[in-house]
Amino acid sequence: MSGSRQRPLLVLGVVAAAAAVLLAGVHQWTAAPIAEQAERRAHATLTQLLPDDSYDNDPIRDRFPAWIAGLEAPSTIHRARQDGEPAALLADVTTSEGYSGPIRLLIALRPNGDVLGVRVLEHRETPGLGDRIERDRSDWITRFDDRALGDPPVDDWRPDRRGGAFDTLSSATITSAAVIDAVRRVLAWQHDNRERIFDIPSVTE
Amino acid sequence: MTPSTRTLWRDGLWSNNPGLVQLLGLCPLLAVTGTAINGLGLGLATLAVLTASNLLVSMLRHQVAPELRIPVFVLIIATLVTVVDRILAAFLYDLWTTLGIFIPLIVTNCTLLARAEAFASRRPVVDALHDGLAQGSGFLLVLVVLGAVRELIGHGSLLAGADQLFGPAAAGLTLQLFPEQHGLLLAVLPPGAFIGLGLLVALRQHLQNRQPAPRTAPAAADPGPETA
Repeated sequence: MSGSRQRPLLVLGVVAAAAAVLLAGVHQWTAAPIAEQAERRAHATLTQLLPDDSYDNDPIRDRFPAWIAGLEAPSTIHRARQDGEPAALLADVTTSEGYSGPIRLLIALRPNGDVLGVRVLEHRETPGLGDRIERDRSDWITRFDDRALGDPPVDDWRPDRRGGAFDTLSSATITSAAVIDAVRRVLAWQHDNRERIFDIPSVTE
Repeated sequence: MTPSTRTLWRDGLWSNNPGLVQLLGLCPLLAVTGTAINGLGLGLATLAVLTASNLLVSMLRHQVAPELRIPVFVLIIATLVTVVDRILAAFLYDLWTTLGIFIPLIVTNCTLLARAEAFASRRPVVDALHDGLAQGSGFLLVLVVLGAVRELIGHGSLLAGADQLFGPAAAGLTLQLFPEQHGLLLAVLPPGAFIGLGLLVALRQHLQNRQPAPRTAPAAADPGPETA
């Protein structure tokens, strides 16, 4: 009686133990490559807008949280430095003004406030329409290169469909407006804090 | 090949195809088939898990008491899926990011438990192995065909993202047959998955009905679909 009741449990125990040993082994084997890939991906994403030889620190760790008006809080600000001197500012920000959800943007600025470039990190905009904010799908996002807060004037940081100075992605006015607005807000924040941005100590929890 | 293994393969690929006849595992099938490469990636992962789980379940079939079957099978399947998930993350990171949640969700693919319960737990190891390979290949084929059709209609391309699966050298495999802006957006969106699968099921049924009647019943007026 007791034998027939214990044996199934023994089998279950053995199978569970074998599964645990297998998983532990696979984890040992893959943990390092996975961490390396994730790190490489994070680094490649963050530094995609920086020329290779323009910085010599680790922008991933040289960062602090920032509260920027009109964007989802907190944003993360990364800094690239060359020989300790400011090289570029990388703002990882999210706007909730997208057409079908938040849009996460990487906005790179020179220390003087000019835009180095803008890229979309995550979004849920309509395939075929709003997703042309991705660099792979159109060059619309490069319209921001070398712009600055006064170029065009602050009031013209809107899609042309709404009387601004930037092209509107057709059938994606809301998406275009959200991205343009986010870039303008980051530029305004940078302008207000330009004296101290590179002096704020890094905060890496 | 013995006649019985030939039957197993014909079942898996055609007459009892998991995607088109049993209609199992539809959630990942509909969700990842935006491109042929995504379909191929998930199809290969599912094929590997299904074959290994069929094999293990069949090997353990005399040891596992009936009341413990389901927990043991689920444990085996979940372990194998975790292994595949970790290996993909370590060595095919881009594809792993694209397929996202649908790799862990292979656990919930009913095809796996259905084959373990209905087939592998009652049959010898060799049959279970063939069944796993055949059913997995059948599922893979549906994923790739549906992915290719949706990608072609929606984006005008074929094999976009091949480098995610086969390395940078395969980037040249991508064919752009017509410019993306002429694509039909509907095909890429979720309704396109349902419509595409429906058309594939209908096509299979049509081809099935056109086949000559089985030799045992020649000249039947309406051959009808083969009953399994």
